[in-house]
Amino acid sequence: MRLSSSAARILLLVALAAGAAGATLSIALAAGTAGKAAKAAAPRPSPAPAPQPPLVIPPATPPATTPPAPGPGETDETAALPMPSGAAQTLYSAAKADLLQIRMLLRNGRSQSSVGSGFLVGTGNLVLTNYHVVSQMALDPDVYVGEYVDTDGRSGPVELLAVDVLHDLAVVRVNRNGSGFFQVPEAPVKLIQGQYLYSLGNPLDLGFAISEGAYNGVVTRSFYEQLVFTGPINSGMSGGPSVTAAGVVAGVNVSKRRDGELVSFLVPVQYAQELLRRAQAQAHPPRNFNPLIAQQLLAHQRALVDRLLAEPLSIRTMGPYQVPVRESQQLRCWGRSNFRAEAEYTLDTVSCAMEAALYVSDTQQTGLVSMTHQVLRSGSLHPLQVALLATSRFRVDSIGTGRDPRLTRPACAEMFVHTASLPVRAVTCVRAYRKFAGLYNFTLLAASTDDAQASLLSRIDLAGVSYENGLRATRAFLSALGRSPARPAKRPGAHAGAS
Amino acid sequence: MSGPWFVELLARNGDVLQRQRVDRLPICIGRGYDNDVILDDDYAAARHAVVEPGADGGLLLRDLGSRNGIVVAGRRAQDATVTGDTVVRIGHTALRVRPADWPVAPELPDRTFHRWEGGIPGALGLALAGACALLVRWLTDTEFFAPARYAEALAGGLAAALLWAGVWACANRLFGRHARLGRHLFVFGCGASAILAWALLGGTLGYAFSAEAFTHYGSHVAALLLAGMVYFHLCTVRPRNRVRYRWVCAGLAVLCSGLILAGNVQRTGRLSDELYMAVLLPPDVRVSPDHGVDEFMRDVEAMRGPLDRSRGRKPGDDEIED
Repeated sequence: MRLSSSAARILLLVALAAGAAGATLSIALAAGTAGKAAKAAAPRPSPAPAPQPPLVIPPATPPATTPPAPGPGETDETAALPMPSGAAQTLYSAAKADLLQIRMLLRNGRSQSSVGSGFLVGTGNLVLTNYHVVSQMALDPDVYVGEYVDTDGRSGPVELLAVDVLHDLAVVRVNRNGSGFFQVPEAPVKLIQGQYLYSLGNPLDLGFAISEGAYNGVVTRSFYEQLVFTGPINSGMSGGPSVTAAGVVAGVNVSKRRDGELVSFLVPVQYAQELLRRAQAQAHPPRNFNPLIAQQLLAHQRALVDRLLAEPLSIRTMGPYQVPVRESQQLRCWGRSNFRAEAEYTLDTVSCAMEAALYVSDTQQTGLVSMTHQVLRSGSLHPLQVALLATSRFRVDSIGTGRDPRLTRPACAEMFVHTASLPVRAVTCVRAYRKFAGLYNFTLLAASTDDAQASLLSRIDLAGVSYENGLRATRAFLSALGRSPARPAKRPGAHAGAS
Repeated sequence: MSGPWFVELLARNGDVLQRQRVDRLPICIGRGYDNDVILDDDYAAARHAVVEPGADGGLLLRDLGSRNGIVVAGRRAQDATVTGDTVVRIGHTALRVRPADWPVAPELPDRTFHRWEGGIPGALGLALAGACALLVRWLTDTEFFAPARYAEALAGGLAAALLWAGVWACANRLFGRHARLGRHLFVFGCGASAILAWALLGGTLGYAFSAEAFTHYGSHVAALLLAGMVYFHLCTVRPRNRVRYRWVCAGLAVLCSGLILAGNVQRTGRLSDELYMAVLLPPDVRVSPDHGVDEFMRDVEAMRGPLDRSRGRKPGDDEIED
């Protein structure tokens, strides 16, 4: 039911499976050979330039043949390329010493499982990165261990000190000190839309890089504010810093939209400052991060459900029914209809979903609310046919992944319920999180039972909420389902079963 | 005991393959043409054995020096006293000798409805199967009417009926005397109708009376109906062994139910077929009263304890508790 356009945001983490590593390697080799061919071609006087020069010269070109004219970007860097931004050049050479790649290694065999970036703060030994870069180490410290690699290729161990799952930040300690280049400002950095920002990191595990882009305001679609960075950020750069031309850290690279071009997101630096303070204040790093993460997720769901139910749900009219929705900056609603010639029924759908979920691990995202209402109507189908069609749409075989080891199996309650104005068949299924005590996934399924020619089918999902909040939201949504008062029931028999 | 005598060659299951009347004793048995009973058995000698009057008025079977001998009750013997029930093996042939005054069991009451054979039950069975297929097609058809879809459904239903009944008719021809295709078609038609009727009835009962168990465990009733259908097929093949078939089919039903339960646990971790009753029917079907939202929320609240208990267990251990 989720619309494909709604949440195509990806986190900038390079997960290195065996196959992916092979592919990366072969791309690197191809780039190397192409580069060599280009350099060899450059000194020769080129004949009349071809109208469409190939972007990559095949490495197998025999030396006797005349090489085609080099494409833009393949000739000597200083001659053909526009001058690199002076600011980027200066920044990179100054920042180089404090830029790190953070790798998660399997304890057993020490092979890398995922790669991100990070940076040394000030002259201390604390490194700022994303939570999702070190999540494996936080959740399964017996299986994963961290390691840093700096721009000179030196490596060393990494010790996890603090995490902020909600803003996707983490602080780790390394066995070397920073040069003092990256200063995390105390106050939020004042940024002007359009201002240049420079993002640093190690994209796709290819090597350290700097990319230039523009700051474009604060995004309001995600539950926690993020900065929009219109510039190239690639997987592997997450956890890296984005700095102003003056070298002040403005944010931490976190994600990008897969369906867009150069639409990237940064975590504002003030949250990093809070986390650093917390990390410095604690006497020793917590031994087990799971209860801590659970606490943060609980705090998130408290804010989430409070905001969801802060005011009465807005009621929309769908055909003869009234359905509750909540549309806000974070919760976007999309509508759809089966307006087709072949079917003897109409099906209108409204679904609202949050675009950004909280990342817990590469297989678990939570802190999400979504709701879908479908209204099925037919004038020509027999009531039994309508009922069977509604049945097939009401049936859900499994709530979430069937045998998900991170959640318990679902427990369901089912009943024929009468809300204020509508009899419905209500089903609520709940699954508990195994690792995080007090967190549950709630799913409410409801189908109207008042009309032989129409059916309202609703589904509300609340991921990662406390039991009380799950009950509260379930009750609020269930009670708000209703029949439009404007259109009294035409069929006298329609309400007979309900009374 | 007096003549004439009957030598009966038997199949392994006790059926008589061939019966030969002999008027006088002794009865010579062997492969040669000078015997009273000629055995077409490569493992029998030309003159293999002879049945003579015994000392006590019974019959005595004597080996005439053959290489493979005679075997009685699994043991080779030089000679053996044979009554009407003694089965003797000569080479690869099992046989027994009975006198003309051998008592037989009284006739069985014939409960077979002999007029219900052939065309009429066959046509009725096909009609039932076709009607079931058309009904399912109509119930699930939400597109504009197109005759081709109904023709397809009808052809599918009839083909299924012919295939299923055809397999049973083959078995009937093998183990009984006639194919009885019409009877098997009728059994299939009734069975398919019963299973479809249950699918609709179970959902209706569940929906009308808020009795979710009817659909949660509905597949077990379907398994029972299927076993019943197999029972009637078996009875058509050999009507004599009804009691044995009853046990066989009861075992089949239990086995099917067990497999369904084991499959559900393996697939979803629950015994029931589904997470919740998804059946929706027209509002007029509802009989029992609806509940309030408060009551429903109390049910949801009550799930917390079991959920928290299963949280502490390892994945896979929390599966069967309900």
